[in-house]
Amino acid sequence: MSAIITPEQRILGAEPPIAKKANRLQATKLNNQMVNAYWEDLFRAKEEGRLVCWTEGIQLNPILQAADIAWCHGEAAAALLAARKESAAPQAHMETLGYDRELCSYARTHIGCGVMNQSSTVEAQTLLNVDARTLGSRIPAPDMIISAYPFCSTGQQWDNELYRTFGKKVPIFNISMDWVWGNKSSAKYMSGPEFREKVAFLKKQLQDCVRFIEGITGKPYDWDRLSEIMKYTKRAAELRLEAMRLCKARPSPASFFEWTNSIAPVNFLPGGPEIVHYFEQKKAEIESRIAQGIGSVPVEKYRLWWDGIMNWNKIGWLSDKFAGYDACMVAGRYTHMGFWQEPQVIDLRDPLDGMAQNYITCPISISAPQVIEKIIEHCEYYEIDGLILHGARTCRAFSYPQYMIADAVGKRLGLPVAMFEGDMVDETFYKDEVVSSRVEAMLEAIDASRARMR
Amino acid sequence: MKSHVLGIDFGSTTAKVVILDEDGNTVASCVSQKGAVSDEGVRAALRGAFEQAGINLSAVVRVVSTGYGRRMLDIADRTITEITCHARGARALVPEARLVIDIGGQDSKVIALDRNGLVARFAMNDRCAAGTGKFLEVLARAVNVELDDMGAEALKAEETVAITSMCATFAETEVISLLAEGRPKQVILAGVHQSIASRTVGLVGRVGKHDPIVMTGGVAQNIAAVHFLGKALETRLIIPTGAQIAGALGAALFALDDLRSASKVKRDDDDAVEGKLEQLLADPQRCTPACGKKETPVTFKA
Amino acid sequence: MNTVLDKFAQAAQRPYEHVKAWKQERGVKAVGTLPMHFPAEIIHATGALPVIVQEMPDAITSGGGAMYPFFCGYTRSIVDQVTEDQLGFLDAIMFTDHCVQLLSAADVIRISRPETTIHFHQLIASLRQPWSLESSVKTLRELVADLEEVLGVVVTEEALRHSISVFNENRRLIRDLYQMRRTGQIQLRASQMQHIVKSSMVMDKETHNALLRELIASLKTSTAPRSDTVAIYVSGHLCHAPRPEILDLIEECGATIVDDDLYTGYRYVSTDVDAGIGDPIVALATAYIRKNDNVPCPTRIDPEVDWEEWLLGAVDRCGAQGLVVLLVKFCEPHYFAYPRIKAAFERNDVPHLMIETEHDGVAMENVRTKVESFVEMIKVQRAARAVAA
Repeated sequence: MSAIITPEQRILGAEPPIAKKANRLQATKLNNQMVNAYWEDLFRAKEEGRLVCWTEGIQLNPILQAADIAWCHGEAAAALLAARKESAAPQAHMETLGYDRELCSYARTHIGCGVMNQSSTVEAQTLLNVDARTLGSRIPAPDMIISAYPFCSTGQQWDNELYRTFGKKVPIFNISMDWVWGNKSSAKYMSGPEFREKVAFLKKQLQDCVRFIEGITGKPYDWDRLSEIMKYTKRAAELRLEAMRLCKARPSPASFFEWTNSIAPVNFLPGGPEIVHYFEQKKAEIESRIAQGIGSVPVEKYRLWWDGIMNWNKIGWLSDKFAGYDACMVAGRYTHMGFWQEPQVIDLRDPLDGMAQNYITCPISISAPQVIEKIIEHCEYYEIDGLILHGARTCRAFSYPQYMIADAVGKRLGLPVAMFEGDMVDETFYKDEVVSSRVEAMLEAIDASRARMR
Repeated sequence: MKSHVLGIDFGSTTAKVVILDEDGNTVASCVSQKGAVSDEGVRAALRGAFEQAGINLSAVVRVVSTGYGRRMLDIADRTITEITCHARGARALVPEARLVIDIGGQDSKVIALDRNGLVARFAMNDRCAAGTGKFLEVLARAVNVELDDMGAEALKAEETVAITSMCATFAETEVISLLAEGRPKQVILAGVHQSIASRTVGLVGRVGKHDPIVMTGGVAQNIAAVHFLGKALETRLIIPTGAQIAGALGAALFALDDLRSASKVKRDDDDAVEGKLEQLLADPQRCTPACGKKETPVTFKA
Repeated sequence: MNTVLDKFAQAAQRPYEHVKAWKQERGVKAVGTLPMHFPAEIIHATGALPVIVQEMPDAITSGGGAMYPFFCGYTRSIVDQVTEDQLGFLDAIMFTDHCVQLLSAADVIRISRPETTIHFHQLIASLRQPWSLESSVKTLRELVADLEEVLGVVVTEEALRHSISVFNENRRLIRDLYQMRRTGQIQLRASQMQHIVKSSMVMDKETHNALLRELIASLKTSTAPRSDTVAIYVSGHLCHAPRPEILDLIEECGATIVDDDLYTGYRYVSTDVDAGIGDPIVALATAYIRKNDNVPCPTRIDPEVDWEEWLLGAVDRCGAQGLVVLLVKFCEPHYFAYPRIKAAFERNDVPHLMIETEHDGVAMENVRTKVESFVEMIKVQRAARAVAA
């Protein structure tokens, strides 16, 4: 059986033509080169005799890089397949095996790769009709799995499923990431005894994880190398934050979509001078745009906030779509509140503690009251006119607080919102007609409120 | 006079009746299109079948009903689900069948048969109309094409468009916006049929693909649905003559089993069948046998 | 006998009315807990009544404006109960489980009703780490300290030991019923079993124990073989009750449910707390860690236990001829586990049927057709095997 769409049939995507194009940053090309190089390198890992670790959620890559282990980050793999329009195949395989479409699409896509991988024998390929040339099947099978998912139990279960998919033969290390709920009023964002306790528990498990890695590599862990890698990661993260903060300018020189396209260096690319150089370039280009008054969209009439994970198969399309509305998506929760979002706490002499602090304060790991406060801070700083709340249907961790966010920003900032359902990598959940009508209604609300102000 | 048995498939949009004689010969098969689970449809199909068979009501001694409205018929000695009946009927029509795909008005089901022709596994759609005849009906209306013509129209398309909504209601919205963009109807219809094929492939995946595959039910008459489904499954689907009456035939065959296992002794309540049939047919809202579409009797080995 | 069963049914059908009446009568506090593995013995030891917050069958109204429709029915229901002000009688809500949808619902509850005391003490979900027991002990000690503060009481070891023994007795009595039902000595419908277990989740345990003893004494045991129905094992619904109508429907289609691993079923009573362990908190933590050996929970990380293999054994042990999986729509841990169950049952040629349930109701006719077909399939296969033999 094959997916229903055959290559010889011309598929017309249901995407109407776009009137205006977003003004893309040149530096992003560099990001794409680094991303391509990373994947090509990963695809070669086995041939080059390197161990491969599969992991999801938090950015464990520096820890692995220091031990010369190649890594595949599950969400990154799923996003890559979606961006290259290759996610349908693993998703279809999973559906055939009985995995429900309402299950986390990252997990479905990534486990789908695992299945494709495991079945790379000729017989299995015939059975599953796996095309060995697909990206999914090029991802090397794991030699180890490290599970460390903040907040989301589905993330942990996803790793467990991978472990079972590979016949329980691949060693797995399970890190438990406790949620900082805040039973006591002393619990604050990145402070208070509850936070410190959870960080200490995570740090201890990271140390145990390093021992697990040593057990597999048979070599003592290179802590100095970790510090060195984290030096670059920390610097890249600082530059990224600085560059993002510059987008307070009007018109905003870069958009949320650009920052989405710059997630890789702070999510899964190797820590080294390249990622630092990348954000230097990006920041310089942004500064130059500010000097020349160039915006990310040809006309910036509205400044918006994007709440929710990106539709990885729609980035370019959405970026142009909003440009067409004269709207700049200035910032968003996914990009602006995660991915080494608090680099200053990382002490390079003992990086694990600061890393743990970052891991535990990612935008799905902080509770809704804190998420709301942070979003309000950002909306005020970037002078946001309205919020887009993209409810990723199969990422409940990210979408659950959105009604509360909508309510809070409405009440406290008086901002209109547009809510719609979509998904991160399963594009069948995205409905352009719905998106257009909701977004247009919100922009009309902004116009109406401006008219009243006059 | 020979004893006869009768199978009724009381579906959501059609009623189908098959009458067999005690030797297992089909003496009548009749389909009536009467809309949602209608008594009138059952009466029309029954009248048509009796006329075709040329027998009296009293000749029928066993009745098995199946289909969505199976329990609404008190003429039935027993009810058996459409899954079990379609499997039995399809197997009688195509003895080598290993998988039965039945797409009806409200339901779609995929049934895997074991080597002995018994149901080994099955999968059925949930509450949603995705992948059922209803889905096609809603979208035919949206595109403003007659249901009977939509298959032929879809096959004229040289390209297709992805309809991603699973839900009939959302798909309708999607189709309307595609029309608004000026996409040709035929292209959209091709997409609609692809979508239904895709849902069915999902159901097939749940029980596993086993060749040869027989398709039964009303949608088996839609050439585009058959085309796209065959393509997606990479196989040629067998559409037997009488595909639409497979469920009623299966029910009649179970009635025949009952008759045979009853050691040929006339039961005390055999006359009850006649009485109940009379009551059902004596409805004041008279419906002529012409309402029923007569199927050419199909041949098979009981 | 009927009067006892009626009492269970009433408490199960109107759990909150029961709790409110009990509070009024006894002047005690009631502490709500969220599923799945909360050690309610600790609340009992404070003198308060532990109450597992239940899914209610009511349509989602104001709660629909607080949570997306793609969350499971249980979490949408509890959010709706809060936004509809139905849980105000609870003096606090406590929870220990990490399900993402449960955490989401809890966070929505906290924001919607800031006056609600709702506290979280996360039990480690990964059960086989060297530190799993130690971590669970630590969490439970924190839970005890928090409850002492919230309720203004002191929990003694003696009180904990007493609560453990009361709960153990409750579990044992219900397990006895299960055993009698498995062997066909008694005929209790699955919906009646659900009432028994569900009422245990909201009733005072001593009272429940007394009623159970009364019931067991009144039940007529019989050694007559089961009627010509197909024996079925029901699995799933990991954190709340399936609608009793679905269980009844299954049993109306020619099947008898003889055993289950439902949360409002055997899962809830599977594991006693070892009274021989000196420190009652260590005993509770140990029971939590070991529970998976008795009935595996797919929300826990446990490489040593396979739910699907365990289920094959469970179906076999109770003499069931098939498995019906009741899968709650949007329940991700079950979505992960189901394909493996399906594969294992197909591999071993044991019939199984999956039915997805939804808060907003299931299409009963559709389910009836599936279950009837399933029963017909099993009967026909059974007859064919008999002929072949």
